[in-house]
Amino acid sequence: MIQFKLNGVPAQIAADAMLVTYLREDIGATATKIGCDIGRCGACTVLRDGAPINACLVMGWQIEHAEITTITGLETQPAGRVLIKAMEIENGFQCGYCAPGVMMSLTGLLSVESLPDDAMIEEALEGNICRCTGYHSILRGARLARDMMKDTRR
Amino acid sequence: MKITRPDSLKEAAKLIATGGVAVAGGSGFQLEFSQGQTPPAQYVPIGHLIPKGIQGLTLGAGTPLEEIRHANIPLLSKACADVAAPNVRRLATLGGNLAWGKGCLIPALIALDAVVETTEGAMSVLEYLKAPFGIILSLTVRPLEDNKPKSTWRKVGLRQAFTASIIASAGMMSVKHGQISGLRLAVGGGATPPQRLYDAEAWLLGQTLEDVDLTDLRHRMRAEISAPDCAFRTASYRKRVAAAGLVAGLFGAPDVPLHKTTRRPTKMPLPELTELSRSAGQKRWQTRPDMPAKVRGKLLYLTDKREAQMLVGRILRAGRPHARILAIDTSKAEALSGVKAVVTHRDIKGLNGFGIVFQDQPALCADKVRYTGDPVAAVAAIDEATASKALSLIKVTYEDLPVVTEARAALMPDTPLVHETGNLVTEVSHGRGDTELEWTEAWANVAHIVEETYVTPRQMHGFMETEGGWAAPEGAGLLICAGGQHGARDQMQLSRILDMPTENLRVITSPTGGAFGGKDELTVQPALALLAQKSGQAVRLHLSRAESVQAGTKRNPMWIKMKTGCDAKGKVIVQDVDVLSECGAYASLSPGVLETAMEHVVGPYAIAHYRARGRLAYTNNGTCGAFRGFGANQMTYAIECQMDRLAGLCGLDPVDMRRRNLRALGSPGVLGQAVAPTERLPEMLAAASASRMWQPFAVKEDEWAGVGMALNYQGNGLGTIPEDEADFGLALKDGKIQALCGLDEMGQGLIASLHAAVSDKLGCDRADIYAVIGDTKHAPDSGSTTAARGGYVVWRGVEETAPAFQAALLGRAAQILNCASDTLAIVPGGITKFGLNTQTPCLTFADLGDVAPVQAHYLFPKTNYTKGNARFIFAFGATLARIAVNRITGMVRVVDFEMHTAAGPVMDMASYLGQMEGGLVQALGATLTEDMPYHAGHPVARNFDSYMMPNVKDAPEHIRVTAHESLDPEDPFGPRGAGELGVGAVAPAIANAVADAIGFWPAITPISPETILTVMDSFTEMDNLTTMEGRA
Repeated sequence: MIQFKLNGVPAQIAADAMLVTYLREDIGATATKIGCDIGRCGACTVLRDGAPINACLVMGWQIEHAEITTITGLETQPAGRVLIKAMEIENGFQCGYCAPGVMMSLTGLLSVESLPDDAMIEEALEGNICRCTGYHSILRGARLARDMMKDTRR
Repeated sequence: MKITRPDSLKEAAKLIATGGVAVAGGSGFQLEFSQGQTPPAQYVPIGHLIPKGIQGLTLGAGTPLEEIRHANIPLLSKACADVAAPNVRRLATLGGNLAWGKGCLIPALIALDAVVETTEGAMSVLEYLKAPFGIILSLTVRPLEDNKPKSTWRKVGLRQAFTASIIASAGMMSVKHGQISGLRLAVGGGATPPQRLYDAEAWLLGQTLEDVDLTDLRHRMRAEISAPDCAFRTASYRKRVAAAGLVAGLFGAPDVPLHKTTRRPTKMPLPELTELSRSAGQKRWQTRPDMPAKVRGKLLYLTDKREAQMLVGRILRAGRPHARILAIDTSKAEALSGVKAVVTHRDIKGLNGFGIVFQDQPALCADKVRYTGDPVAAVAAIDEATASKALSLIKVTYEDLPVVTEARAALMPDTPLVHETGNLVTEVSHGRGDTELEWTEAWANVAHIVEETYVTPRQMHGFMETEGGWAAPEGAGLLICAGGQHGARDQMQLSRILDMPTENLRVITSPTGGAFGGKDELTVQPALALLAQKSGQAVRLHLSRAESVQAGTKRNPMWIKMKTGCDAKGKVIVQDVDVLSECGAYASLSPGVLETAMEHVVGPYAIAHYRARGRLAYTNNGTCGAFRGFGANQMTYAIECQMDRLAGLCGLDPVDMRRRNLRALGSPGVLGQAVAPTERLPEMLAAASASRMWQPFAVKEDEWAGVGMALNYQGNGLGTIPEDEADFGLALKDGKIQALCGLDEMGQGLIASLHAAVSDKLGCDRADIYAVIGDTKHAPDSGSTTAARGGYVVWRGVEETAPAFQAALLGRAAQILNCASDTLAIVPGGITKFGLNTQTPCLTFADLGDVAPVQAHYLFPKTNYTKGNARFIFAFGATLARIAVNRITGMVRVVDFEMHTAAGPVMDMASYLGQMEGGLVQALGATLTEDMPYHAGHPVARNFDSYMMPNVKDAPEHIRVTAHESLDPEDPFGPRGAGELGVGAVAPAIANAVADAIGFWPAITPISPETILTVMDSFTEMDNLTTMEGRA
């Protein structure tokens, strides 16, 4: 078995288990969603050592000793807390099924790049499909989060 | 799968030699498995053994592409930005991209003359690809030696970002003393074999830069490039865009003749418009009640339910488009350890058929399968693996039947029948009742005629949560929880299938992760219910995307032949329309979709003479049904393009043309039916006329700009024929005001609308309200969450129940406070006395105790026409699009959208704005990139790698939405439906904008880039210009 940390807690996964399957099927951690199973929609995005990746493209052997953060651990991330606030204010989502993935992609960006320009925000979202919003409410939420982080830095 | 992690490259090589598959990032494999490749028995991870990182121009093979993307490597970093998306690029490696053989980066690596260092020695990229021996260790790129070599990179795909490569081209060129001194040109990517264009290079080398005949060069390249056809683009397109891209990249974008653009409208006085945004909305902009849970991942969807002992269900699909079932043998599956139930048609006690209009769709197929996604059996087992294994053990014997692959062919006399009732599902005809003479005279009197066949795609709903949920025994019956749009109807349909009284079935349908009409019909509920019933246990079932793509309903494709004639002043006199549509294997709501399309056949215009016929055919191409817009948007595409085309012929601007033809306010609808007051077409036209969208705007140097508009006109509600009623209630329980409403929250903002409508009416806070929705046990039947009827149902329910409920609350408070109830009022948090100068209520809602529901039953407003289905209430809008046509690729990009809407008062601003923005982009998809073609009854796209919904980069740069909220003084009908307006007029707005840019109205959607390029060629020739290519 492969040892890793899931939202700060030690966990074990089989080397050939797909991370998203492990989360949703094996341990019932269904806060992380599944949308396409081939890395094309981003609903299953999680952070591996802080960087957003698709949990449907990563097997146990690829996360040995890694720190995996899912939407469940979002509030442990400073950028995640700001993003949550901003998305609430802007009403970033509609059905919300893409949200766990989108939130992780943006948290990954805002954690390393606290003042991303609009182009960087868009690029960070290229792997996340949202069918409800037309993306603009998500972009407004992301930009507000950036501006809020800017204000904190001042 | 065995994962063997080698300790050395030598060991890795040994494992690979004995059948192991080397894997670094592994990002490409899952995609290949989904496309049918069998996963290998053994993975040999090599990421830890191969070099990572970038040193100068040498890149370790294990370097993730995302690192290279940000590293400023000439050409390569730019190319990396076009590979997949950042989250995938963090996994994908440079070595993997090359070793895969189809990687998008290969042309860039060839143009960089990269040296591939492998365990077997060094070689060029092309040498490696020819004979890929050894494990790739590193690549050293070698840009041309020059101070500033010109370089170009262009990947052409199916949308703006995160797309499979149709073709990628890369080039480097150095120039000394005005002469081309060094050159490398390469193409490849995806299905296109990687190649270097040696002949073109040889021809160019030594030429003086200014003297190169670029047309000749382009032709030479096209001749030299070898590229295949695929289901999505032709070989000729690939060659053409690669050649044009290389030429433009190295010598500058082509200079093209300007086209005469659409006339700009004269500004009319603006009606009152509410700007929909947080900053403009201020207090009207509130956080939706469902938002906090959604942004934290705390909302439990029905497919997220997990319980100990819960079984996992799977459905066996036909996998073939048309066949007779000779036998179904489930014995081996049933014998498998861990399998708890296997169900087939033999387990259905009631009617083995469902369908909202007529019940032609089997819950589980008995004698015949009619599309690849038809369900034949289902299993419930202790886990997913066992359930999958069990499916593979069910033996179904089929006798294949000839496949009906096309709607037109379906209606030919000798075509095989999909159903015994015939392939013609319905036919709808209406007109003004002209005699032949009147009809002929009408045509004789026109000055201009435009005739065109408009084609609309089989769009997929693409909700992010695929169909699924869970079911369990409950009491004497069953609890069925699955995303849906009308729990009470699902309950009724399930009761027929199970032969079980409706009261024994409880159906929960909220929350749903997107629906758009695609969960209106039953999806997985029959299989779930049968499995829970047979196993006696809770069962969950969640379709994989691949299964959803195959099994789910789609938008009905339509072929709309429209011939319209107007007089010299632009007055439209006569129109003839013939519509052919297909519903695939089963009718579902398709007859209603066709009827709705036909109801919008003249749009919001007064046309003295018209005839219209629509036919709907069965085929074996999947199955179609309800989809946001419900046929109105397809017809709007046709009529709104006709308007612009006739305007052009008459020398009118688009607004003036429409103004001359608008239906008279208060006049009967197209079927002669009475329609509701508050028609806001002139206001919408005025808003469009005054739009800033008509001003010039910037596009990229290889693009052409265009602006277009179209009017929205969308009927609300189910129409006169279907039952269209609602129950609604207000109650007080545990200190919360319960809004009891059986509609569903699918993301559109039902809960927010309930909170808004109730609090606005009663004077309480939004937070005082709790919405009880989507549950047949606890919420009343409010009808379906479709047809843009939800807004009205909510508003009317509150109007009906609030007075009595308020009286009940105040009466209770008066008893407690021992005062007259008319001295009391509802305020946020509870009840206050008039004259008390305090924000704090003197009684909280909890102090009042529970108050039994005040209920109301009401009908959705209907009109007087019953010979066919007709709408009474309409919503209005104007959609404007700024687009850019790419002169190299022919692809259309939407730069900005502006939408003005008139759907009565806006209940919740954020939800309303969201409906418009989301609708606009969803319809952008159907106009530019989305289609689900079938080949011999099999869907060509299987998942999101080949079905292209808009990505964030496809969304426009700006979207502006306004609302004209007023109602006529005597209008008793409240807010109109907002759910379908957004998608209503996007296709014609884009098509009219394309015409503004290039003078050509695309009549087939999604708009083919190849067609656009062909059109550009033709008018270049027409303008008789000697050179299309200029010098930048």
